[in-house]
Amino acid sequence: MQKISVIKLWVAIPYIVLAVFVLPILIIISSIFGEWSENWSHLYDYVLFDYIYNSSVLVIGVLFVAFIVGTSSAWLVTNYRFPGKDFLEWALILPLAVPSYILAYTFTGLFDTFGTANIMLRELLNFEEQFSLFPNVRNLSGAIIVFSFTLYPYVYLVTRSAFLNQSQSMLEAGRLLGLNSFQVFYKLGIPIIRPALIGGLMLVAMETLSDFGAVEHFAIQTFTTGIFRTWYGMYDIQTAMQLASMLLIFIGLFVILEKYSREKARYTTKSSTFKPKKVNTLKGQSAFLAFAFCFIPVFIGFILPISELFIWMYSYNMDYFNEKFWETAANTIFLGIISALLCSFFALIINFLIRLDINNLSRVVSSFLSLGYGVPGLILAVGIVQLFVWLDRYFFTGSEIILTGSLIGLIFAYVIKSYALSNSTIESGYERISIVLDESARTLKTGNFRLLSKIHVPLLKTSLLTSTLIVISEVVKELPATLILRPFNFETLAVSTYIYAAEERMIQASAPAIAIVLVGLIPIIILTKMIRSSRIGRQY
Amino acid sequence: MNKILKTLTILIISTFIGNYTLAQEVNIYTSRHYDSDDALYSEFTDSTGIKVNIISGSGNALLERLKAEGRDSPADIFFTVDAGNLWRIQKEGFFRSINSEEIKNIVPKNLRGPNDEWVAIAKRARVIYYNPEVISPERMEEVSYEDLSNPDWNGKIAIRSSSNMYNQSLVASLISNHGIDKTEEWAKGLVNNFSRKPQGNDRAQIMAVANGEATLGIANSYYIGIMLSGRSGEAQLAAAKKVKIHFPNQNDRGTHINISGAGILKSAPNHENAVKFLEFLLSERVQKHMVDLSYEYPVLNGIKPHPSIASFGEGFKEDRTSVADYGKYNTDAVMLMDRAGWQ
Repeated sequence: MQKISVIKLWVAIPYIVLAVFVLPILIIISSIFGEWSENWSHLYDYVLFDYIYNSSVLVIGVLFVAFIVGTSSAWLVTNYRFPGKDFLEWALILPLAVPSYILAYTFTGLFDTFGTANIMLRELLNFEEQFSLFPNVRNLSGAIIVFSFTLYPYVYLVTRSAFLNQSQSMLEAGRLLGLNSFQVFYKLGIPIIRPALIGGLMLVAMETLSDFGAVEHFAIQTFTTGIFRTWYGMYDIQTAMQLASMLLIFIGLFVILEKYSREKARYTTKSSTFKPKKVNTLKGQSAFLAFAFCFIPVFIGFILPISELFIWMYSYNMDYFNEKFWETAANTIFLGIISALLCSFFALIINFLIRLDINNLSRVVSSFLSLGYGVPGLILAVGIVQLFVWLDRYFFTGSEIILTGSLIGLIFAYVIKSYALSNSTIESGYERISIVLDESARTLKTGNFRLLSKIHVPLLKTSLLTSTLIVISEVVKELPATLILRPFNFETLAVSTYIYAAEERMIQASAPAIAIVLVGLIPIIILTKMIRSSRIGRQY
Repeated sequence: MNKILKTLTILIISTFIGNYTLAQEVNIYTSRHYDSDDALYSEFTDSTGIKVNIISGSGNALLERLKAEGRDSPADIFFTVDAGNLWRIQKEGFFRSINSEEIKNIVPKNLRGPNDEWVAIAKRARVIYYNPEVISPERMEEVSYEDLSNPDWNGKIAIRSSSNMYNQSLVASLISNHGIDKTEEWAKGLVNNFSRKPQGNDRAQIMAVANGEATLGIANSYYIGIMLSGRSGEAQLAAAKKVKIHFPNQNDRGTHINISGAGILKSAPNHENAVKFLEFLLSERVQKHMVDLSYEYPVLNGIKPHPSIASFGEGFKEDRTSVADYGKYNTDAVMLMDRAGWQ
């Protein structure tokens, strides 16, 4: 019992801090209790079902493709050896540096009737001018491809490390029972990594549902474009916030479902029977197929857009990289690091509290904060602005607005937007630490703080680093919230891209877009270094 | 290491002083800002001693920030595209009337707010693109916006999604002239004439005309200037060379005009500087710079649009419908397009 009072002291502070972070999301959701305008009957009569239908098809399609691509490639690189495998094992996460809206822009630049790819092929094959070899990408299937190939790395990352931790003895047992290699994959490989897999797919679904840039560019009427159409076109922010809340409640149901499925299935195989994996070497045709299967996602999600961007930039906008660029890049990285450290810290504390099972509050806070990932950035920004102005009025009673339009606002937005990424990484990291370890520590009378700092943190080192790096790459890509929350004269890379992209000057936007990808690559390259060494390194 | 520490300290301090304002400056919320504008602004600073502070972003989102900040907002000027956006800010009561006679002499009445709450800085027309090899300029002569719903054009018209604000403003201007019912009938006819599901940006419509996917394409005037400049690639340049602009409704009320414009906020901490800045935007030099860069039409008389855009016709008849009506009827326009099945 004495234990609990000690915990409460240092537990109270994060709760207060976190409560503030949850507020903007609550502000958005509270719109449900406001007035429902007559615009709702219009939405209901004419467009709402289109929004729901298109969003559903989109998210199901993306989940399906990302699942197939992410898990299969992870399975191949962890269980087999084939030419190019060492390269592909880390290259498979590169698409994480490419925001989906940039992939969408390059896709139309490549595959429209007058796109680079079509022109090149026409010239090569001497076809006439109107002949278009590639099908139109500005539709739902195009959007599914764009999201799948920018987001599958979330699935790949979690499943890869889960596969690495699978015991060889289990797979051998499967073989002995007469399963072929494909059956081993989907009957044993997949079910056992289910919790990690669902976590990764959750992120994919949330990102897909909250995206605006890519679907807007393809002119697909989804829930998010509906939110913005209601806001921008019908001038009705209240109804727009209500639509966003519905989206959030929908996502919330999935978060609860995911938690539930994790509770039910706690797989911890790390017993003394753990036997590291044996890697089989593939030869001939199967080696080529394995290579092709893993190379295609890297090609579509990274090589293709980067090449198109480089072609554009080289011809039209090299002078972007001047002194101002370095300042802008430094701003971006600075914000990324601060937000990432905060996210990882919060996720660590919350998951530690959940593990101690002190009360349910930490679970609730964690779920709410995770929802932030599913809020369209601009809507989130509106929630934050309202909160900050309120705080400014009540706590800083001077005439100047202090919080609003400060960097705190930006960092605030990034933490809310990216917490889910940290949480899912650290949560699955914790799942791999046997509870027996905690119990032994208790027997040795280790206090909670020492348990966290001396045992959990060292064991979670990889997860913490991964979480920090993923958040940095997310912050670099974040666009909409940055635009209205920043202080005067403060630019990030995404801002310069937006200014041109909004005016349809994608070719001029290519230089800052490349900068986003390049800066986003820094954390990812560190991540890939980790991936390379994780095979040799310790595994817990 | 020391340098990093120093930078960090400065960044952290700047975090806490947020919007702390110095004596001589002007603060601008803008959804229309290019890298090359910075040079112009520093010219303004050099000649007046007034520092220009910028936040550029989505107009709608900046408006929400402005609304939340209310009387405490540090912003002096709100600068955005599309008259509808300006009208909204005015309707929320954030703008104050602009009294400068100099400004009012330059900007005609139909390009200002009802009580001079905002003024146009540059103009653009929403025009019809066509390929003269497919359809003769003589045939085009008679084509008005209203004609676009004529079954003659079945399967021949390319236009982008109704989520786009330029389309919303065009429909709003038709509502202002013909009322909701007639406009809805018109929109249904137009939807029947679509050559494909609405997609892509304005330039994609011009491309569709150039490559024969559509006979008529509706897009803003300045895009052809950007395409012809070659800065958007060979393909767009080649396509742009094939098409011509038709300015609709020359026989009646004139071609639909929209603006980018700005207003001064009631809460402006630097009101005088804001007036000076607007006068600066409407000065000969800046107008020239802006139209050369953006291929829009100038508001100031005597400035010529960029030659590549002027070549399609200068001095065409402009629709005098008050641009403020675009904002007034915008909600109606969006709902009407939903009902007509315009995606």
